[in-house]
Amino acid sequence: MTEPELATPFRERAERALGDRFLQEALTIATTKFITLRREAFAELPEGEALRDQARAIKEATLQRLDYWLERLVDNVERRGGHVHYATSADEARAIVLDIARRTGARMAVKSKSMATEEIHLNEALEAAGVTPVETDLGEYIIQLAHERPSHIIAPAIHKTKGQVAELFARELGRETEPDPEVLTRIARVELREKFLQADLGISGANFAVAETGTVVLVTNEGNGRMVTSLPRVHVAVMGVEKVIPSMTDLAVFLAILAKSATGQKLSVYTSLVNGPRRGGELEGPEEFHLVLLDNGRVRQIAGPLRESLNCLRCGACLNVCPVYRQIGGHAYGYTYPGPIGILLTAMLNGPASVKDLAHASSLCGACMDACPVRIDIPRMLIELRKEVSEGRIAPWSERMVFGAFAWLLRRPGLYRLGARLGRLAQAPLARGGRIRRVPLFFGEWTRTRDLPAIAPRTFQERWADLEREARR
Amino acid sequence: MTSRTEFFRRIRAEVERGRGAAPGTTAPRPAQPRERLDVLRRELSERWRENLDCFGREFERVAGVLHRVGDAREVPGVVARIAAERGMRKVVAWPGETLGLDIVTPLIAQGLEAAAMPGAEVGPAERERLRALAAAADLGVTAADVAIAETGTLVVVSGAGRPRSTSLLPACHVAVFDREALVESLLQMGLVLEAWHEGAEPSWRGAAINFITGPSRTADIELTLTRGVHGPREVHAVFVEQGIRAHRA
Repeated sequence: MTEPELATPFRERAERALGDRFLQEALTIATTKFITLRREAFAELPEGEALRDQARAIKEATLQRLDYWLERLVDNVERRGGHVHYATSADEARAIVLDIARRTGARMAVKSKSMATEEIHLNEALEAAGVTPVETDLGEYIIQLAHERPSHIIAPAIHKTKGQVAELFARELGRETEPDPEVLTRIARVELREKFLQADLGISGANFAVAETGTVVLVTNEGNGRMVTSLPRVHVAVMGVEKVIPSMTDLAVFLAILAKSATGQKLSVYTSLVNGPRRGGELEGPEEFHLVLLDNGRVRQIAGPLRESLNCLRCGACLNVCPVYRQIGGHAYGYTYPGPIGILLTAMLNGPASVKDLAHASSLCGACMDACPVRIDIPRMLIELRKEVSEGRIAPWSERMVFGAFAWLLRRPGLYRLGARLGRLAQAPLARGGRIRRVPLFFGEWTRTRDLPAIAPRTFQERWADLEREARR
Repeated sequence: MTSRTEFFRRIRAEVERGRGAAPGTTAPRPAQPRERLDVLRRELSERWRENLDCFGREFERVAGVLHRVGDAREVPGVVARIAAERGMRKVVAWPGETLGLDIVTPLIAQGLEAAAMPGAEVGPAERERLRALAAAADLGVTAADVAIAETGTLVVVSGAGRPRSTSLLPACHVAVFDREALVESLLQMGLVLEAWHEGAEPSWRGAAINFITGPSRTADIELTLTRGVHGPREVHAVFVEQGIRAHRA
């Protein structure tokens, strides 16, 4: 299945985002606020750094024995009356969910926010099969009404104004209203409450799955996670295989850092631990519980170059601090997962060729790694991806040629020195204040969006030689 | 469709290939969580005042309202007052055995439409009716099995006589707890969860454990904080100093 955004090249998508004044403003406000809230939350938690190290160690240890922990999870889910399904690809995952919907005669599915079901494009498939999917996270609901995609992992509609949401509700729901978030939220509550009570199928993702107990854990602020897992008669949870953690003790460690990294809350409003179908004596809970384990490119990274990105908690912290995300927002990336981690996840799901442009959409400043609750070394993997993109001849020929020539020159010190001297002469008409703003011919591509530092009046090698002479004197 | 065997064969092969890539350790799990929890509870019982104060501060930070009463008999009065102040009339509550007190009779005496949820299995039609009742209610009264001081969180275990909808569908949720429910931190809550899952599970236990940290909220429209999007708009906690004789998780 193709992503609609990809019809235009990345550069044009980015340019469009840069030219969108509202988006620019919305991104600055949102990301700045998230950064501040996160910083304040960790400032209050002296043991925060140690918890981050511990969380990382747990993820690594789980990955070392992923087969063992996943099997424990499966056994425990089945022991509690749940059904487990295995999806190697997105196609297979969709087919599994559709089959459950068909078999149980479902007409309407309420969904709590799930990046995994975004990743497999489940909504389109449900619609095509005659099952109406209803996104119930307010942000997801808004973008579903607008036929758009999420632009942030945890705040999917940050690119929309309250005015746009009011217009949308008027057009799609026939509810004329003032553009007041309070009023708009109330309308959504009423609309969606009705859907929760009607729906036959509840679809969720999973923030964690605890192997020792067979528990699926959902974290939400709105309460839609609780509704989706309690009210419909069938509940399907779709989760990437890397979401499994060994024990409840481990879960406590992750809960202590997840919300702080995402929104700066000490804990999200609702953390729901779900252990399969309704039990005797309970008033609510599904009659059937299904867990879909999703591979979709993850498994081959257990021993692959993107292994570390399997530790991602999907908190969105790296998006907020990324100078590129802050400028272009989520849609310009073109795939389900935006931001620095999104580039790695896109490569994981769709192969390195899918990120030949995106691999460069990073300044490698390392802010993402500092913000990541489990300290994923995103810059290192981005550099490796760039290498792969370049060696796999995925980069454009002009870029490969220029960098090839540069590498050749760097290996020949004599020529390099000569080149520097010639370059200094050649750049004279172009350089101003130590920068070159534009270079001719196709090299101009380089300076279209950035300056080129001019060759210094005296190169490092020349200054080094000067220093040595001085020292001898 | 991929079979379990095939799925795990691939994972096992990759795990084998990636062996030693980056060592790590899982969180050290308590060997006998129930015994450890008993020890912890004894320690905590000495510090319940500090922990209650801390809970109160954090609960208020997340827009919860804490009420303190001496005796369980005062709880219906607190609930009636909350309802009266907001013009609410319809109340659903957990039954006496799980709440620790009969709240429905005194509330009805005060002129409210109050209904207790059943304590045992009922048929599908009755479940449907009770769910509609909860959806139409203004206020739901439950117990809280644990109150986490560090985060201002109420933990509620579902099960027989412990419907999930009571704390979810009404616009206002009131949870009753006492000092035995208090723990200090999320990490202690991890121990509680380990203890709950040790050995065979009690027959009354349901399939869901919910952590509730304040009223339902969203900031999805222009990052404007708005409460009560799907779950309750308000959450109250009533602390009973003399304790309640509730059925505990």
